[in-house]
Amino acid sequence: MPAYALEIIVFSLGLVLLLVDAFAKLEDKRSLAWLGMLGLVVVFGLLFKVEPRAADDANVFWRFYSDSRMSLFFKGIAILSTILVLAMAIDYRGLIEKFTAPAEKKAHPQAGLGEFFALPVFACAGLMCMASATNLVSIFVSLEAVTITFYVMVAYMRRNVGSLEAGVKYLILGALSTGFLVYGFAWLYGITGSMDLAEIGAALKSGDVSPTAALFAFSLILVALGFKVGAVPFQMWIPDVYQGAPTPITAFLSVGSKAAGFIVLLRLSAVFLGSEAVAGQVAMAFAVVAGLTLIVGNLTAIPQSNFKRLLAYSSIAHAGFLLTALAAAPRKLEAGQLSSATVVAFYLGAYLLMTLLAFLVVGLVRVHRDSEEIEAYRGLGKSSPFLALALLIAMASLAGVPLTAGFFGKFFVFQLAIQGGHWWLVTLAAIGAGAGFYYYLKVVAAMYWDDPTGAAAKAAAIPVSALTRAAVVTLIVLIVIAGFAPRMILGLIG
Amino acid sequence: MTLVEFIVFAPLLAVLAILFGSPARATAIVAAVANLAAAGLMTLRFPVEVESKGQVIFASSRNLLASPNLNLAFGLDGISLVLVILTVLVTLAAVWASPAEGRIKGNVKLYYSSSLLIASGALGAFCATDLFFFYAFHELALIPTFLMIGIFGSGENRKRTAWTITIFLGVGSLILLAGLIALLVETGGKSFAFADLYAVGDKIPADAQKNIYLILLIGFGILVSLFPFHSWAPPAYAQAPTPVAMLHAGVLKKFGLYGLIRVAMPLLPEGAAHWQTLLLVLLLGNILILGLVTIAQRRLDTLLGYSSVMHMGYVFLGIASGNTIGLHGAVLLMFAHGISIALLFALAGAVRERMGTLDMDELGGGLAKKAPALGLLFGFAAFASIGLPGFANFAAEVMVFFGSFQPILETKKLGALQWAGILSLWGVVISAVYMLRAYRKIFKGPLTDKDAKAGIADLTLTERAPALLLIVALMAVGFVPGLLLKYLTPTLEAIAMSLKG
Amino acid sequence: MDTGLTLNHFLAVSGILFAIGLAGVLIRRNIIVIFMCLELMLSAANLTLVAFSRFNTGANGAPDYHGQVLLFFIITVAAAEVAVGLAIIVALFRARETTDVTQIASMKN
Repeated sequence: MPAYALEIIVFSLGLVLLLVDAFAKLEDKRSLAWLGMLGLVVVFGLLFKVEPRAADDANVFWRFYSDSRMSLFFKGIAILSTILVLAMAIDYRGLIEKFTAPAEKKAHPQAGLGEFFALPVFACAGLMCMASATNLVSIFVSLEAVTITFYVMVAYMRRNVGSLEAGVKYLILGALSTGFLVYGFAWLYGITGSMDLAEIGAALKSGDVSPTAALFAFSLILVALGFKVGAVPFQMWIPDVYQGAPTPITAFLSVGSKAAGFIVLLRLSAVFLGSEAVAGQVAMAFAVVAGLTLIVGNLTAIPQSNFKRLLAYSSIAHAGFLLTALAAAPRKLEAGQLSSATVVAFYLGAYLLMTLLAFLVVGLVRVHRDSEEIEAYRGLGKSSPFLALALLIAMASLAGVPLTAGFFGKFFVFQLAIQGGHWWLVTLAAIGAGAGFYYYLKVVAAMYWDDPTGAAAKAAAIPVSALTRAAVVTLIVLIVIAGFAPRMILGLIG
Repeated sequence: MTLVEFIVFAPLLAVLAILFGSPARATAIVAAVANLAAAGLMTLRFPVEVESKGQVIFASSRNLLASPNLNLAFGLDGISLVLVILTVLVTLAAVWASPAEGRIKGNVKLYYSSSLLIASGALGAFCATDLFFFYAFHELALIPTFLMIGIFGSGENRKRTAWTITIFLGVGSLILLAGLIALLVETGGKSFAFADLYAVGDKIPADAQKNIYLILLIGFGILVSLFPFHSWAPPAYAQAPTPVAMLHAGVLKKFGLYGLIRVAMPLLPEGAAHWQTLLLVLLLGNILILGLVTIAQRRLDTLLGYSSVMHMGYVFLGIASGNTIGLHGAVLLMFAHGISIALLFALAGAVRERMGTLDMDELGGGLAKKAPALGLLFGFAAFASIGLPGFANFAAEVMVFFGSFQPILETKKLGALQWAGILSLWGVVISAVYMLRAYRKIFKGPLTDKDAKAGIADLTLTERAPALLLIVALMAVGFVPGLLLKYLTPTLEAIAMSLKG
Repeated sequence: MDTGLTLNHFLAVSGILFAIGLAGVLIRRNIIVIFMCLELMLSAANLTLVAFSRFNTGANGAPDYHGQVLLFFIITVAAAEVAVGLAIIVALFRARETTDVTQIASMKN
């Protein structure tokens, strides 16, 4: 089966979910989520059955589409995060119902719930397309498919002001970044005469293209993708949108959307870094943005008291580490050296595990304690030791404690930066990682040191469904295994 | 699975068992006893004649990453063996001396698993023959320490203290990490294995050696509380719960010293030579300035915290001398100091439990009349800490001083190292002053009326046993230092050679 | 037919359009106007694409149609974006009775 069959299956799955929701009178719409997860698990399995493109395959489709190992890895990230997001959405459905149920008394309380389970599947299809896009047109279309789906999902709780505000902010800034992106694409196309990344790369390398124009196109694209991945100074939407969006969607945004942004950035930066004329300035631009992102992301995370907002800043901080890997991309790869793309892919894989684990707990606490403030986590170590342990491991991994997945991500980034001699980036990254220890441990301290106050003091243990328990245990095991044996993930990247 | 792998992973398995509901104290003690037995077995089977500096016994290796070459690799040479013996002894004493399950306010599982995690982190770091796991296992202990001090620590400021120690150690580790990565890059970055690093190590250019050694010295120095990066240690040890103080001051802190001997000196000999004077100045800060600060302490727990920081100066002196005898002294002192400070913290914990305070003015003295066994054991511990003959500390400190004077045989004149040795000798006087004064104030003064009436129990059997275990170890090595020294010689001679060459 | 117009003229106009759109997004406070300005930026990109497509002629003198393909996708996507975007804005207007972006700041730390 060729790789593109997977996107077709996932897209059809989304349609099936919508149709089932519309025509089968489901009493409990959770079955939609189960159906979606089941389908995605099957697709995840099919991922390992993909046949590589035959050498003589003349299908015109391959001009838009790559089925490299790296693309498949990112497809895996998209599918896995969607499955976990659906699992989270099941736990979170009470809040969605509360803010979307129709006003009429007679109406089914879950009348507004069905699409909440279908939309992530569409977004997943878009993310998978993006992982394979090698043409400006396919990049643009898949990116927009994802972004527009996210507009809907972020603003999904239509009677909740926070969710709507987040939706509007995401809409305006998302559309702004789209504007920059297409304008940049238009210029890139104009100066190279092609939409195909390989041809564009060749044209830039040949030296027939004005470096000024190439840099102009690059800066437009950098601004646009800077918005998508949350790089400073284009990060200001992230805290508000993360805080306002429904928690499962926040998790999806921070994992899926970021991964997608980075694979596009990887592809496009490779095109520019391949050209002698502009490579220096491009790497410099990445280094400046990476340095700013590291500092701003990590330092502004320190005073946060809302956990979701804290995770938003932490996502900015992690974007800083990822950009550092891009900035330190080695010009010429020595034998045995990890390429910057491999490092980014590994980091994103690790980031997926630990961030989703954190958001699983955040979602449960939000539902049962009705709060996202760090205060609400006080005493969690006593009342819900299982969730507290899960969050402890997630925080340790995000902070980069060795023997967890997060450490290797940071380690590889440091290694790249030191190999490249980017000492001031290394310094900033070290400061950032040190600050990270502080703000992640702040949550751990709240869970274990403090006695609960207010409503939380009387609250009983948070019930954990079997599905969530399974998801949490799987994530913990994966984090620890990846912390001992990174080869497991690196092998998948190829 | 080799014995070494067993020793590293047994505490981790015990933690898992505790998480799944096995009784915490019993499981922890079983794991610690099993580790002690395994360590004993290893010592018996350890060959004294080791051929080269790269050779490790009980080696095991599991490949995790092909390029760069990363292995979950463990093995022992003489230095590791001595430190493993230290760790298993202190671990057993620490879990044994921990309060019974009923008397812990809070999560018992967390209490015992944290101690085990710290022990496992130390064991892993000492046994790893791969740079990556050498670093990684040490970090394993960071979060348990943070949690333990914050939850179970004593005193109003415990949260602040927990933050301080975590931030200091976190920053120190990051500096260290940067240094280690720079070292990897200089050696080609293809392999983490110590053996591979040693093979290419002497080709590092002198400039790079100097820069990296300084980074490593600062990184390790923060972890060992080298002056002026020491300020986290005294309050942390004073406020940490007893087993954490024992494990951290006794064992985990030795990681930085071990790292200097294991990584920094053999790979960066020119760097070590270049920064020797700086190290001498700093270690004199440890011994003299902090020694005087120790005298000024009014509370037994901070006094012990400072004294532990102060004694690190002697180990640094042995390291700075860089010759065989000095290095022998340094490693032996790591062992002796680890045991004696753990013993002191265990007994201080017992005093705090009985009297509710460790303020020496409030304690009022005369405790030995009420609790003779406690007084006697504390006396032994204090004498050991001062370095009286008969205890391992004496043998070790003598070797350190000899080490600092040995170069005079060739140079025939007093250099910086010798001056540092002479000044350090005063440290012995200083430690005698504060230790004996503390002992007199707490145990040998007149009994206050309040205490005379109060029913103060002597040490129970459960409290005596771990203390006796440690004292026996100290005296055995004190009378027959060769017990441990014979294992150290091949490795340390090789390192001393590379420093000379 | 030679009108004297060169590629640069088109690029200049589209650049000005883009700048006007961007300035509008940054300066205006009414969310509907901001949204219109965003569409203006997309149109600027479209104009650039068409211009490049027209002037990057192939060997037979025909325009390079790749640019125009992207243009149609952009128009389609913009329509979808407007549909979703206006729905969100209307929902927000119902909840907050305002279209002033400076009023939308309930989530501050």
